[in-house]
Amino acid sequence: MRPTTRTRPIWAFLTGPYAVFLVFLLLVPFANVAMYSIHPYSPTRVFLPELTLDNYRKIFDLYYLRLFGRTLRLGLITTAVCVVLGYPLAYFLARAMPRVQALCLFLLIMPLMVSAVIRVFGWIVILGRKGLVNQALVALGLEPVKLLYSETAVVIGLVNIFVPFMVLPIMASIERIPPNLEEAAQNLGANWYQMFRRTILPLSLPGLISGCLLVYSLSISAFVTPALMGNARERMVGQQVYDEVLVSFNWPSASSLALTLVLLTVGLMFCALFASRHAGRQETAR
Amino acid sequence: MSARPPRLLLPFVVVVYIGLLAPLVVVVAVSFGPSAAFEFPPRGLTLHWFEAFFASQAFVTALFRVSLLVGLLSAALATVLGTSAALGLVRFRFFGREAVETFFLAPLLVPEILLGAALYLFYARLAIQASIWTLLWGHLVICTPYVIRSVTAGLVGQDPRLEEAAMSLGATRVQAFVKVTLPLLRSSLLSGAIFAFIISFSDINLALFLSGPGSTSLPVHIFSQIQWQGDPTIAAASSLQIVIIGILILVVQRIFRLRLVV
Repeated sequence: MRPTTRTRPIWAFLTGPYAVFLVFLLLVPFANVAMYSIHPYSPTRVFLPELTLDNYRKIFDLYYLRLFGRTLRLGLITTAVCVVLGYPLAYFLARAMPRVQALCLFLLIMPLMVSAVIRVFGWIVILGRKGLVNQALVALGLEPVKLLYSETAVVIGLVNIFVPFMVLPIMASIERIPPNLEEAAQNLGANWYQMFRRTILPLSLPGLISGCLLVYSLSISAFVTPALMGNARERMVGQQVYDEVLVSFNWPSASSLALTLVLLTVGLMFCALFASRHAGRQETAR
Repeated sequence: MSARPPRLLLPFVVVVYIGLLAPLVVVVAVSFGPSAAFEFPPRGLTLHWFEAFFASQAFVTALFRVSLLVGLLSAALATVLGTSAALGLVRFRFFGREAVETFFLAPLLVPEILLGAALYLFYARLAIQASIWTLLWGHLVICTPYVIRSVTAGLVGQDPRLEEAAMSLGATRVQAFVKVTLPLLRSSLLSGAIFAFIISFSDINLALFLSGPGSTSLPVHIFSQIQWQGDPTIAAASSLQIVIIGILILVVQRIFRLRLVV
């Protein structure tokens, strides 16, 4: 009995179902998107047989260049703010007592899991015309300002949603640095800042890099935040894809945009994955 | 110069947490306030908006008939798919194993909004009408990797010799799995299932594309209500989601290591 069960490829039965599932609901749909993207748009017919690269050429039109430029720029600003806010938090969490760490981790992950819509809704209440910020300004005798529906609002929303994705990888890589390394550096005469710059910062670099790539690729593909907190004229690529699919029904154009963005983000995410794996290998090698 | 971390670290962390939690606190506070104009801080305490929530056919359908139903189905199916995939990846060595592993985590690398668009165009091509089923298939794509991660973490910490011992004592492979491995995996299975539920329950990016007229999920309904400038019933709906998710995350933290799943 046993030898025959050994030779049967049980792994294929186990991994098969999800693999088939992903082929049909991930690979085929994106292959379909790729197909759409090389066919011309027609307002009357869903599908025209001839091939074209016009949908990709269109990305170099001024409107789309601006769209991509704005998206990539907002992603960059979001990532930078996330580093500034997230790094100290990650250090704090990595070196906190277990109980404090558990509580803080809960408070970090709980908002992360709540739907983005709800967090954006909270910001709309805070930043709105009669919101918390403007109430405070009026109470101080200042003029209320228009905060919502601007790029600033979008960045605030994006940072709020994505900061945990920066904190978690950095925290993981700082935790791997033994605390007595910090003591050793300080025993050798370094003050805290010197120690930080020479030991913690370089050793946590893989976590920092994967956090940045993660936050960047998430924020350039954001939809809900710019759709609800942004200006209708300053849109991001995600909104353009949504509109072209569901509002103007220009599926070939939406497909070329989606495919460009997907290649960009998946490329970045693979780099992030590689950075964290590489860090893991270094650890096991030590 | 000080040898300890800067004194400003703790206040800084507190400020970041205030910013992080502010939107949730505000939403919950608004849902209990009497004003219809999203007033914060609220001037009183009322359950009016929760009554309005349960009186609204659209909100009740979105929560019970769509979001909870799809969430539970996603959790159940993702747990089966994900556990079997994790077992195959951890317990067996085969050619291309790493490639399969990367492929199985690929749904986490693809932006959800684009996956939603791609699935929408795919269903449209096949002329499949939007329903809770189209939503469920989409959610299974993004939920299963969380189960795989959680169960993989549980399996890696488990000695395969336990199963071998059961088999040498006369159990078949299946018996050994059901009586030894599965009970030991209990907490990572449950964590994976809970996370699958949460991912489905709070998803908006796929649901925006895959919800049909009768299958609008709670986040999508909240989204359209925000666009149409609805009343604090939105806040009540949001509070319900926050409470459900908060409790579930607490459970995961109790029984398993939260970070192994996220």
